[in-house]
Amino acid sequence: MKTVIITGATSGIGLETALKLTRKGYSVIGVGHSQSNCDKAKEQILAKNPKAKIIYFSAELMQQRELKRVADELEKYLSEHCNAELHALINNVGGVRSWYQTTEEGYEQQFALNHLAGFMLTYRLLPYIEKALGRVIMTGSNSHKGIKVHWNDVMLKEGYNPLTAYKQSKLCNILFAKALNDRYGGNGISAYTVDPGLVKTNIGNKQTGGLVNFIWSLRKRQGVSPEIPAETYVYLCERESAPSGLYYYLCRERDFSKEVTQENADRLFALSERLCGIKYSDLVTEL
Amino acid sequence: MNVMITGASGGLGRALAAECAGRGYNLFLTDINEEGLLSLQNGLERQYGVCVTTRKCDLTNDKSVDEMLSVIDQNGISFDMLLNIAGMDFEGGFLERERENVVKIVSLNVEATLRITHAILKRRRAGRAFSLVFVSSLASLYPMPLKATYAASKRFLSDFALALGQELKSQNVKVLTLCPGGLATTPEAISGIAAQGFWGEVTTNKLEAVAFNTIERVHRGKSLYIPGAVNRTLSLFGKLLPRSFIAAIIYKRWISAQSKWLCLEGKS
Repeated sequence: MKTVIITGATSGIGLETALKLTRKGYSVIGVGHSQSNCDKAKEQILAKNPKAKIIYFSAELMQQRELKRVADELEKYLSEHCNAELHALINNVGGVRSWYQTTEEGYEQQFALNHLAGFMLTYRLLPYIEKALGRVIMTGSNSHKGIKVHWNDVMLKEGYNPLTAYKQSKLCNILFAKALNDRYGGNGISAYTVDPGLVKTNIGNKQTGGLVNFIWSLRKRQGVSPEIPAETYVYLCERESAPSGLYYYLCRERDFSKEVTQENADRLFALSERLCGIKYSDLVTEL
Repeated sequence: MNVMITGASGGLGRALAAECAGRGYNLFLTDINEEGLLSLQNGLERQYGVCVTTRKCDLTNDKSVDEMLSVIDQNGISFDMLLNIAGMDFEGGFLERERENVVKIVSLNVEATLRITHAILKRRRAGRAFSLVFVSSLASLYPMPLKATYAASKRFLSDFALALGQELKSQNVKVLTLCPGGLATTPEAISGIAAQGFWGEVTTNKLEAVAFNTIERVHRGKSLYIPGAVNRTLSLFGKLLPRSFIAAIIYKRWISAQSKWLCLEGKS
C-alpha cells in the first residue's frame, strides 16, 4: 500500500485530496493545525469512505519547533507502519494574513507557513520519499505571476501587503519544486506545483481581518469545489511514470512565471536552508 | 549598540527585535517563555547574523531578576537602550476577572517595569547616550471601563515616562512612550479587532511600521509616539472632552464589542 502525507488536510483542498486518495487505496497521513480539526476531518472521511486508511497528526507547521516535533512523529510512523517509504508528500498547507505577523523565529507568517514549512518538512522526509522514488507536490497559485521575490526584504517588513506576501510565497512554491527537481531528479524524486485555480475554501477567512475577510467571502463564491483541484493531485500521485512537468492545472501542464529561473531557485534554496538551519547536502542520499 | 528587550518573544517584542537586528544592534532578549526566546534567537541570527543573547526571566520576581542581573554583571554587559515591552491584560470586567489576575496586571505592567528599568539604567554604558522606551497604550489616554486596571497601569507608565525623561535629561537619557492602538499580534488580538468592527480596523496599527517608527523616533529624541492618524485624533478628543464623559462613551463601545468578542471566542 502506498503512503501519502498531506499537510493542511483538515479542510478545503487538502481534505478533498485526502478523501480521493483513500478511495484510490492509498494510506493517507494528514497533518492539521489542531487536534479537534483533525478529529473532525477523520470523521468526515470515514463517513464517506468507511474503509479509508487515514490517520492525522496535529501541528502548527509555521512554528519550526512544532514542525520538528511532528516530523519526528511522522518518521517514527513511516518506519513502523509504512516500510519507511513515502510515495508522495503534498505540501498543501497555506494561509493568508491581513497584517504583518511573525512566527516564533520572527519570520513573516505567510512566508513561513506557505513556503518554509514545506521546505523543512520535505527535508525531514526526503529519505523516505527517495526510498519510494516518490513525489513532492506543492499547492501553488497562478497569482505567483507578475511578482518577483523581494530578495532584500523577503519578510516584507518594509511594507507589508497581504496579497504581495501571498503571491511571493506561491512563487516560492514553484521555485522550490524546480530546485528539488534539479537536485534530486536523478535520484528518482519528482516535484510539482499545482495551481488549484479559484476554489471555494476558507483560506481567506482564517485569522484575517475585516477587509481581506470580506473580499475573500465575495471572491470565493466564484470558486469551484475543492473536488476539482483535488483531481490534479490524484493525477500526479497516480501516474505510473512520473509526469515530466513542473506546474499543473486541471491535470495539465501550465505556463509559469519567467521568474522561475535556475538562479532564483538556487538563491531561494540557499536562503531557506539558512532560515531553517538545515543543509540538504547533509542528507545521505543513495544514488 | 547594546539593546535589552523585555517581553521579546511576544508579537511586538519580536517585531522590535527584528527591527533592531536589521540595524545591526547587539541584542539581549528576555521573556518568561524560554522556548520562544530560543526560537527567536535562532531566527534573528540566521536572518541577520547579529549577536543575540537570551535569558529567561520572570520580571515580577525579584529573585529571578537578580539572577539575570548577576549573569549580566559577570559578563560585564552594559546597555545603550532598554525596550520595556513586557506587559499583559486579561479580558473581562473587573469583577469577572480573578483577583490574582487583576493584581498581576499591575505587578507586570508597573512594578516589573520599574524594577528592570532601575536595574538597567544602573548598567548603562558609560559615556554614551541611553534610550528608554515604555510601551504604554492608546488606552492610557482615557479612563477605560472594562479595561480599567490595564488602562490605569498604562497611564502610570505614560506619566512616569514623561517625568523620568525630564529628570534624566541632563544625564543624556532619552525617554520615549509608545501608545499604540490595536496590534495584530495573536489570533486572539485579531478576533478582538474583528469584533470591534470598523473602529477595530481603523485603530489597528501596522506592526512592522510601529517597530520601524519607534526606533526612528528614539533616535530623533521624541518623547511620545502615537501611531496612526485616527489614533492621534482620538487622543486629541481625550484631551478636550471631560474624562467622565469619555468613560461613558468607551463603556458603551466596549460592552458591545466584548460580548461579541467573547461570543466569537466561544465559537472558535
